Amino acid sequence: MDIAYYPGCTLQASAEMYDLQNKKVFETLGINLRELEDWNCCGATSAGKINDFLAVAMPARNIGIAESTGLSEMVIPCSACYSRTLVAQHQLEKSPDLKADINEELSKKVEGSIKVSSILEVLLTTVDSGVLEEKVDRELKGLQPVCYYGCILTRFPIDVPVPDNVENPQGMETILRALGVDALDWNYKTDCCGASASVNDREAATQLMARIVKDAVARGANCFVVTCPMCQLNMDAFQDEFCKQHGIEERLPVYFLTELIGLSMGMDIETLQIDRHFVESSKLLKELNLV
Amino acid sequence: MTATAREYTPEDANALVQEVADRSGQNLTACYQCRRCAAGCPVAEETGFITPDRLVRLILLGDKEKALVNELVWRCVSCYTCGTRCPNEIQTARITETLKKMSEEAHRSPLRSKVAHFHHSFINAALRRGRLNEMEFMGTYELKNTLKDLVSFRFKAAYDELMYQAKFGLTMIKLRRMHYGFLSAKGRGEIKRLAKKGRARG
Repeated sequence: MDIAYYPGCTLQASAEMYDLQNKKVFETLGINLRELEDWNCCGATSAGKINDFLAVAMPARNIGIAESTGLSEMVIPCSACYSRTLVAQHQLEKSPDLKADINEELSKKVEGSIKVSSILEVLLTTVDSGVLEEKVDRELKGLQPVCYYGCILTRFPIDVPVPDNVENPQGMETILRALGVDALDWNYKTDCCGASASVNDREAATQLMARIVKDAVARGANCFVVTCPMCQLNMDAFQDEFCKQHGIEERLPVYFLTELIGLSMGMDIETLQIDRHFVESSKLLKELNLV
Repeated sequence: MTATAREYTPEDANALVQEVADRSGQNLTACYQCRRCAAGCPVAEETGFITPDRLVRLILLGDKEKALVNELVWRCVSCYTCGTRCPNEIQTARITETLKKMSEEAHRSPLRSKVAHFHHSFINAALRRGRLNEMEFMGTYELKNTLKDLVSFRFKAAYDELMYQAKFGLTMIKLRRMHYGFLSAKGRGEIKRLAKKGRARG
């Protein structure tokens, strides 16, 4: 099966391994990711704070390119890119004037209605079809993860149909169950990591992230599982710093969901590049004899 | 100490409510002050007196100055928790995003200059090449902050920040999470034209 793929800027830079993991995991699942040609930045969470027209226009160009492929679905693994693209698509649908105004400048116009999917939506179809379970090669015994969704995978600035429970999503848990892993229940799965505040308002962001780690530790978790590269970078890169500030002794690896899926498919640390984390992330896997 | 009661001018208040409602797409008058937004706001401890419900109230009362310059507008992390839980479907994060733009248009200096620098540096870098280059964007962002520190004689702060970023950058390099070279989109001209159109529309 072919599916359009929008990696976004982060997956070509600080979360490059997430791009690579997506390609490897989806290939094993029989899904061919076709990267959009000449895609542009989605504007992320910044565009809406600078200019509302631009916040729709940036993802609109990508939607036009995606539609021109003739494919019926596009997967976007980054939460910010996914949210911005989905929201823009709905705003364009709602306002024909805005759409005409933006289309005027686009060589590939927004006309159809390609399905914009999060990574979870696509992976869940492979759970339903049984394909994911078939590919499980290795039991991930001893992993006690908490699934961390962050904000914008389930909460949107406008009313869009959300394919999961907003306050207590279960998509990641369902996928992990197919791998034989039972994720722990906890309170902070949709709380905010601070996103860009980790850079521009460090004091506020560290407070938020410390609360998240505290609850995970209290629940007995030994790692986080995420799909958002912003959450991953924040919780990973600053964990040592904010844990020290808040008297938290434990350090928990922040795994991308694709890392755990890849491991259960039999891939190793080097193939998945799990050695590119700030918090030591290979040790736990070795201790549990998972690699 | 009691604060002086605010003089309410219906014309001014209505104009402010209308502008914020039109631009943010939120029906502010539907707010009945249940404070469910305040209860769930993750930065409520940081924003002091101003919670999402009180921000809406300030706008309804026509207090433009306070609505533009307060901690919530500049420290809101746009997590959309308030709006998701609001029984009247008011997305306050869209209101804080709108007020950031209005504050800039009114030439008020942002309460938190780093936040404004961040989003401008991000969009400028993304527009320049069509794709965002993390190093280019972070470089211009840090430069703006450093300049602001230097002209305000905050030499220690500038030095500390430089050291912090240098240490962070070295770890990024070690972990191969620093990207070299430039990402770009050939069709960036389309985005640049759209940005121009957007600026003309305000």
